[in-house]
Amino acid sequence: MSALTTVPKRRRRSVIARIGWSRFLQEIGMLAPAVLLMTAFLITPFLLSFWTAMTNQPLVPRPTPVRFVGLNNFMRILSDDLFWTSLWNVTRFTIWILPAQCGLAFVTALILNQKIPFRNVFRGMFFLPAITSMVVVCVIWGTLFQYPTGPLNQIVVSLSGGYIQPIDWLGDPNWAMFSIVLLSAWQAYGFQMIIYLAGMQGIADELYDAARIDGAGPWGRFWHVTMPGLRPTHVFVLVITTIQAFKLYTQVAILTQGGPKSSTETVVHYMVRAGFEEQKLGYASAVSVILFLIVLVIALIQRRLMRRFDV
Amino acid sequence: MGNRLLRALVATTALVVVASAADAKTVVRMMHQGDPGWVALYGKVAERFEAANPDVDIELIYAPHDAYNEKFSSAVMSKQLPDIMELDAPFLANYVWSGYLKPLKSYVDQDLLDDMTASNIAQGTYPIDKELYAIGLTDSSVVLYGNKKYLEKIGARIPKSVDDAWTRAEFEDYLGKLAKVDGVKWPIDTFRGYGIKTEWVTYAYQPILNSFGCDLIDRKTWKAEGTLDSQACVDALTMMQTWVKNGWVVPMSSGTNQFYAEGEPAALAWGGHWFYAEAAAKMKDDVVVMPLPKFGDKSVSPDGTWIWAITSQSEHPDIAGKFLSFLLKDKEYRDFAVSQSAYPGLKSFAAQSPLYAEGGPMAVAFEQASKVAVPRPPHPAYPTITSAFMQAVDQIFNGEDTKKTLTAAAQKIDEDIADNDGYPPFGGN
Repeated sequence: MSALTTVPKRRRRSVIARIGWSRFLQEIGMLAPAVLLMTAFLITPFLLSFWTAMTNQPLVPRPTPVRFVGLNNFMRILSDDLFWTSLWNVTRFTIWILPAQCGLAFVTALILNQKIPFRNVFRGMFFLPAITSMVVVCVIWGTLFQYPTGPLNQIVVSLSGGYIQPIDWLGDPNWAMFSIVLLSAWQAYGFQMIIYLAGMQGIADELYDAARIDGAGPWGRFWHVTMPGLRPTHVFVLVITTIQAFKLYTQVAILTQGGPKSSTETVVHYMVRAGFEEQKLGYASAVSVILFLIVLVIALIQRRLMRRFDV
Repeated sequence: MGNRLLRALVATTALVVVASAADAKTVVRMMHQGDPGWVALYGKVAERFEAANPDVDIELIYAPHDAYNEKFSSAVMSKQLPDIMELDAPFLANYVWSGYLKPLKSYVDQDLLDDMTASNIAQGTYPIDKELYAIGLTDSSVVLYGNKKYLEKIGARIPKSVDDAWTRAEFEDYLGKLAKVDGVKWPIDTFRGYGIKTEWVTYAYQPILNSFGCDLIDRKTWKAEGTLDSQACVDALTMMQTWVKNGWVVPMSSGTNQFYAEGEPAALAWGGHWFYAEAAAKMKDDVVVMPLPKFGDKSVSPDGTWIWAITSQSEHPDIAGKFLSFLLKDKEYRDFAVSQSAYPGLKSFAAQSPLYAEGGPMAVAFEQASKVAVPRPPHPAYPTITSAFMQAVDQIFNGEDTKKTLTAAAQKIDEDIADNDGYPPFGGN
C-alpha cells in the first residue's frame, strides 16, 4: 500500500493553463448543448426514477400524501410471482429469438453478400419489415394467426395433410410466446442483416485471395476467413439483440396483453401495467430500476466478451 | 442572413398575433372514445353547435377505448385536462376522488336532468357527496342471445322474463346439448375476443359473481379478501373454467362475431346490448333475446356505460354544459344511437327506442335494468380492482387454480387500498 502512496505525484497542469482560456471556453461551449440535454433528458430522469422507486408516488396527483417507503416496492416486486414469470418469459424469449433472428440475419446476409443479380433490390426487400411499424406488423400477423381458420393454420393443416390440428397460436399458453418469437424475428432481422453485411464487407478481399491461393475451398474460406473476421460483429449483434429482447413490449401489448395465463407477460409490460393501469408510478419505477440493473449486467458481460475477443 | 431570419420571425409572429386576435374564440375541448361512426357524429354535432355559437370552437380529442385511462392520465400529468370528458361509469369514483371533475347540475339544462332514468343518475353520482358528476344519453346491459334454430333443435325453454330466466342446471344442460348439435362449433360466445385486458371482462362477468352471491369487493368494509376469494366466487369462476375446459366457449383468438358469422358456429352469445343491432341485421328473426341465467337465487345483469362529465379545470364550464346539453338533445345523435341499439338512459330517449319498449325485442334488457342490475363497485380503487380481476380471469380460463388466483387478486386489491390509506373518506382496511 505504502509503495503506492509514496509515488511522487507529478503536478498536473490545469487544462486552462495548457490550452488557454479562449480555447477552453470554446470547448466548454461546444460540450454544453450535449451536456445540458443529456442532464435534462437522461441523467435527471434516471436519478429521479431511483428516488421515485422508493416512494408510493401515484401516476397522477392524489389527495393522499406521497410517502417514502424505502425498499418496500422492491420487496414487493421480488415477492410477486408475476414478476418472476415475466422475467422468465423474457429470458425464454431471448433464448429463442437469438438463434432465430441472428441466424436468419446471418444467412440472408451471406446470400446477399454474393454477387447475385438484383442484389440491391433483394437487400431492400429483406430490409422492408424492419422499417415497417411494429404495430402494423402485429395487426397483420394477428390476422395470420387467427384460430382456427387463419392463413397460417390453413398452411399448417394442409401441409401436414390434416395430421396437425389447427393451432391456437396466440390463445394457447404453450404457443403464445413462440408465436411472438416468430413475428418478432421476422420483423427485426433486417437490422441485424445490415450489420452483418457491413461486417462482411469490412473483411479485406486480400484475405480471401490469400486463402484461395492456399487452396481453400468455399467452406474453408467461410470457416477460416469470414467467421473470424465477423467475430466482433457476432458479439455486437448478440448483445444488441439480447438487450432489445429484454425490452419486449409492443408485440405483447397489441397481440396478447400478457396473456394467456401470463405466458407472454414481459418485464416492460408488467411495468406499464403497474404504472399506467394501476397508476402506481413508484412501483413501476422500481421495476424499471431492476430492469436497468439486469441490462447493466448484460452490458458488463458484453464488455468482458469484447475484451476477450480483442475487439 | 441573421437579419433576414429575424425579419421573417417578426413577420410570422405578427401574423399569428393578428390571426389569433381575429379568431378570439372560446375553445372548449372534449375528450372522447368510440367507434368511427360515433367519432364522425361528434364532429358533425360540434359543427352544428359552432354554427349556432360562432364565438365557440369545439375541439375534439379522440382517445382509443382500450387505452383511454392511460391517455387521460397523461393529459392530467401534462395539465392538459379537456373541458368535457367521456368516462366509463365505474371509473367515476376514482376521478371524482382525485379531484378531476366538477358537479355538473348547475351547467346542464334542467329538462335533461329531469329526464334521466334512475340508473343513469346512479351511474353519474358520486356516493360520498351524492352529487351528480356525469350524464349520458344511454346506459347499458348484457343479455343472453340465442340462435333460434339451435335452441329449437335441443328443445330449450325460452324464458320470457327475468323471473323465469334459466337456472344454472338448465343452462349447463343446454350448453352440453348444444355442443353436440350439428353446425355448432361452440355452444357460447362470451366475447373473449375483446381481449384479456378490457373492461368487458369485469363488466360481463361480475353479474355471474353477484348471482352466486359474492362480489369483487365487500361494499361496506371495502376489503376484497374474504369476498373475492370466498367459496361462492371460487365456485363461480370454477364453473366458467369448466365451460372453457369443455370447449364450450369461443376461444380468445377466434374474433368477436362467431354468433352470426358464416355458418353461425356459436349457438349462444353472452353479449352487450350493442350486439343486438349487428346480430339482428345478419340473422333477422333467428335471434332470441333472453335474460342472463340465475346461478343462485336470482339473475343479475351489469350496467354503466360511457358518460359525459365536466372537468374541474375547465375555464368555461357553462359553455361546456351548454354543448353537452346540445349534444344530448341532438336529433342525429339520438337517431344514430337508436341505429346502434343504444340502451336508453333518458326517459325521452326511451320513448324513441321501440327496441326496449314493452313487447320490443330487447324489452328483457330493460326489465333487467330495473330489477336486477348491479353496478360495478363505485370506489376510487376501481382501476386496481378491475385490473386484478381481469388478470385473474385470464389465469383461471387457462387452467390456473381458482382459489389461489382469486386470493392473489384480492390481496393485490387490498394492498392498493392500504397504500392509499383506505382512500379517505371511503374507509376500509
